[in-house]
Amino acid sequence: MAASSRTQVISLYRMMLMESKKFPSYNYRTYALRRVRDAFRANRTEKDPKTVERLMVEGRQTLALIQRQ
Amino acid sequence: MAARVLQQCVRTLARPSLRLASGNLAAVAPASAIHRPLSFAADSRRTRWLVQSRIPSVGVLCRQYGDLPPLTLETIKDRVMYVLKLYDKINPEKLQTSSHFMKDLGLDSLDQVEIIMAMEDEFGFEIPDAEAEKLMSPEEIVQYIADKKDVYE
Repeated sequence: MAASSRTQVISLYRMMLMESKKFPSYNYRTYALRRVRDAFRANRTEKDPKTVERLMVEGRQTLALIQRQ
Repeated sequence: MAARVLQQCVRTLARPSLRLASGNLAAVAPASAIHRPLSFAADSRRTRWLVQSRIPSVGVLCRQYGDLPPLTLETIKDRVMYVLKLYDKINPEKLQTSSHFMKDLGLDSLDQVEIIMAMEDEFGFEIPDAEAEKLMSPEEIVQYIADKKDVYE
């Protein structure tokens, strides 16, 4: 994985965790944190740049979705 | 005459700084024997007042605020280690202050991000991404927090 995309992935992970922590309800908050962690961990061995790019776009959309709540 | 002496005594009690002047008058007056003790009483009262005024000023210096005890390197280290012990993927028995998160404790970069976020929660300030990724062992975290909070030996 290129260094720049690695930083981007870590930054996205951090942002998503921070936004997920803002859910007022315990159920949604715990679900979102678990969902974000599991999703990143499931794809941590991804090597193909195209797939990484697609997952990043997906992640940014999810981040926007979390922020809208 | 007696009325005037009494009046002077009252004035002396009220304003002890006039004690010398009234003392001279009392030496002329025949009732000086009664007047003297009263003026001494006024004098001692003044000193007592001065002593009392000194005690509250000490109290002002010792005023205590409701706040956490000041951070030292030792307390920062204890709090960092406490947070790390509570993190579920770290084995508390293997944890040393010098251990590297990835090499010694077998964590990955995602775990490291979560540790840094836990530190932000514990100490109440933000750590930027660029600096967060360099913090790889408990002692580095302690050193970084001490620098940010202006804590030195």
